[in-house]
Amino acid sequence: MNGRGDMAWCPGCGNFAIRDVLEEVLKELPIPAQNVVFTSGIGQAAKMPHYLHVNYFNGLHGRSLPVAAGIKLARPDLTVIAYSGDGCMYGEGGNHFIHTIRRRLDITILTSNNQVYALTKGQSSPTSDPAVKNALDPQGNQNIPLNPVLLAVTMGAPFVARGFAGDHDHLKELIKEAILFKGTALLDILQPCVSFNKINTYQWYRQRVFKMEKPLTDRCEAMKTADLWGDKIPIGIIYLNKEAESREGKELFRQQATENDIAGLLDMTCVMMR
Amino acid sequence: MEFNVLIGGEAGQGAFSVELELTEILTRLNYYFFATKNYMSRVRGGHNFHMIRIADHPVHALRGGQWDMVIALDAEAESRHKQNIRDKGIYLAPASAREIEKEARDRFRDVRAANNILVGIVLSVIGVSRQILAEAAKPENLEHLTAGLEFAQRWNLAETCPVSPKAVCPCKLDGNQAIALGAIIGGCQFMAGYPMTPATSIMHYFATAAQRMPVHFEQAEDEISAINMALGASYAGIRSMTATSGGGFALMQEGVSLSGMTETPIVIAVSQRPGPATGLPTRTEQGDLNFVLQAGHGEFPRIIFAPGSIDETIMLAAKSFELADRYQIPVFLLTDQYLADSVQLTDEKIPAAAQSREHLIFDNTYRRYRLTADGISPLTCPGLSDALVKVDSDEHDEEGKITEDLTLRTRMVEKRRGKGERLLIDAVPPALYGYKDAGTVIICWGSNKLIVKEAQEMLAREGIETAVLHFGQVYPLTADMIAPWGLASKKLICVENNAEGQFASLMKRELGLDATHRLLKYNGECFTVEELYQNIKQLLSGRS
Ligand SMILES: Cc1ncc(C[n+]2csc(CCOP(=O)(O)OP(=O)(O)O)c2C)c(N)n1
Ligand code: SF4
Ligand SMILES: [Mg+2]
Repeated sequence: MNGRGDMAWCPGCGNFAIRDVLEEVLKELPIPAQNVVFTSGIGQAAKMPHYLHVNYFNGLHGRSLPVAAGIKLARPDLTVIAYSGDGCMYGEGGNHFIHTIRRRLDITILTSNNQVYALTKGQSSPTSDPAVKNALDPQGNQNIPLNPVLLAVTMGAPFVARGFAGDHDHLKELIKEAILFKGTALLDILQPCVSFNKINTYQWYRQRVFKMEKPLTDRCEAMKTADLWGDKIPIGIIYLNKEAESREGKELFRQQATENDIAGLLDMTCVMMR
Repeated sequence: MEFNVLIGGEAGQGAFSVELELTEILTRLNYYFFATKNYMSRVRGGHNFHMIRIADHPVHALRGGQWDMVIALDAEAESRHKQNIRDKGIYLAPASAREIEKEARDRFRDVRAANNILVGIVLSVIGVSRQILAEAAKPENLEHLTAGLEFAQRWNLAETCPVSPKAVCPCKLDGNQAIALGAIIGGCQFMAGYPMTPATSIMHYFATAAQRMPVHFEQAEDEISAINMALGASYAGIRSMTATSGGGFALMQEGVSLSGMTETPIVIAVSQRPGPATGLPTRTEQGDLNFVLQAGHGEFPRIIFAPGSIDETIMLAAKSFELADRYQIPVFLLTDQYLADSVQLTDEKIPAAAQSREHLIFDNTYRRYRLTADGISPLTCPGLSDALVKVDSDEHDEEGKITEDLTLRTRMVEKRRGKGERLLIDAVPPALYGYKDAGTVIICWGSNKLIVKEAQEMLAREGIETAVLHFGQVYPLTADMIAPWGLASKKLICVENNAEGQFASLMKRELGLDATHRLLKYNGECFTVEELYQNIKQLLSGRS
């Protein structure tokens, strides 16, 4: 499809720019579309796979990652990309985010981070800046923001990056590298929401982002850089660990337990209390 | 002839090992037996006891009443169980257990040898000779078991309650092993789960199997993740399941609904324990029928199986995967701690070949939710051709794209309902035991089957004619399933391990049948045969 059909996004939304980049990347990847599976949760960002020529499992709010893990474990031959918003990925799905990194599967995690719950019309998200006001935070957000990039570096994710919807070419390279990287890759994408985030606008980001010259390979150094936010916001691959080994799923598809396997099951004892 | 023995002590004292070793060697010796346990939710201390019923005929339940032998490993076991020994029954006091332990340490330099010495004593009591033992025992256990026979000789216990071994080629399984086995036979290759009693050993069996064959177990970070992982694997083309108990299932509910909407096949084993909340983690109850029946928001079809024996557990577990695939729905295996922890023999031939999902190939006009006459759309998985597989938890069109077209919405609701109508033809009818023309029918479901069946046989021996009707499929219930038995004009007694009579209410709602009597138990323990026999007899003599 050439995406600009019926899309549920507002004119000017950063997601359009990301979608265009994704469409180009998918065409250029050395992987046929039929082998690419997107999983997503619920939110404006989570609608992304509907506007791409891919397989998808658009599941529940917060659950793009467990579904992605299930697919990758069952079918190591598929290229699995989880796509969702900041609320979905780091809020409702925050626990899965942590544990998916621990699982070391070859999954790409892409987040449209607009620092707001957009679909539900503008509440604070886990990445909202302090003091932003909205209907449910009339006094201003009292919480400190979660920094997904810093968290991922801390957890030992081997590929941690940040992109910006306003920089097409740079984002394109990042998405490509993230997908082709063998192992868990996080790419958090700064995505201006023109309807509900009047602070973190294209201009706001443009004035602050700076590109990483090259990926950091020292984790402590990477943590320091990842921690930067405010006046200066790093984009690019912040941490890269090419040595990290990812976990391979087992060959299951079209394999079968044999009669011998089943006979062997009758001799199992389980020496545990439940 | 039969012989009922109880062995009790603190957690970690060895009573469980004695049960394991004893049931193992009884199976090798071709004895019929039934074993189950009553244990506390702790790793050390407390009080656990294991009950083994050995017989010269098939037994599948606790007899109840007095014990032929009690082995008390500590004072607590003595104070609780000594009084329940029958007249001239055998009692091994904690002092005897210590003597055995001393022997194990002095002679074998291994305290754990005490477990097999105890097993040897029990074997000697039921008449197992040195020779027979030598043929059947594993070589590494023989010395210890033989020492047990010697103790029994010295204490004049040998052959005091002889039982003949009459089983033919028996095979021993507990309920959770039967679920894992049935699942693998049903072609299940993926399980994700989060440990929770009494479901954990299903995962343990599956993880053990995964070391030897093309199946995978993944321990999830929580139950929400577990069910979503299983759905992911199923979407990817692999028959998948998850297992949990009530509290974990509470967390899985959104996934049940997700399976309903995305039409992703999944099997969910819910092993019940008494609730609400954390309840009694290691005890039994049938309190979650309503919960499983209603779980998940929105309207979508489901099937709930509640097997009552080892054979039936294997059969229904395997069948669950076939039906989940055929109708693209969630299918439940509703069991409980009693079934999970009971070790039984089966003479039935266990199917040896595993089934598998058929993977159809389509072209790029493929629509995952194609509208068909019976509501069943062709199922395939990604990566087989240029047919893209698009599934959505939002209401969707035939292609799997999010939609708010309300006419389409209506058609999609009807499509999902259509599957619910269609699957009625596959309903597993209840099984009837006893006198089919009897005026009284004892209704039961799930793990109570064989307890009720034996109670019915006891009544029959006294000339009291009743029938037992056991439901292995508890939902959906259809008029056709019960048509042969003319239940409307009979006196119905419903036996359940819960306080509300949930199945009786369901029968009323779905079939319009009134069970005028409900025999309910909800202290966390299973029924015994003796107890049910007494209760039913009292009911029927009008003295209730
Ligand atoms: C279990 C559940 N809780 C709440 C919601 C409502 N909801 C839908 S999207 C959303 C937040 C979306 O925020 P984000 O993930 O950042 O996506 P965005 O719309 O900003 O792209 C919420 C709270 C839901 N669909 N499911
Ligand atoms: S609400 Fe915000 S995130 Fe959603 S489509 Fe509009 S601009 Fe984009
Ligand atoms: Mg957002």
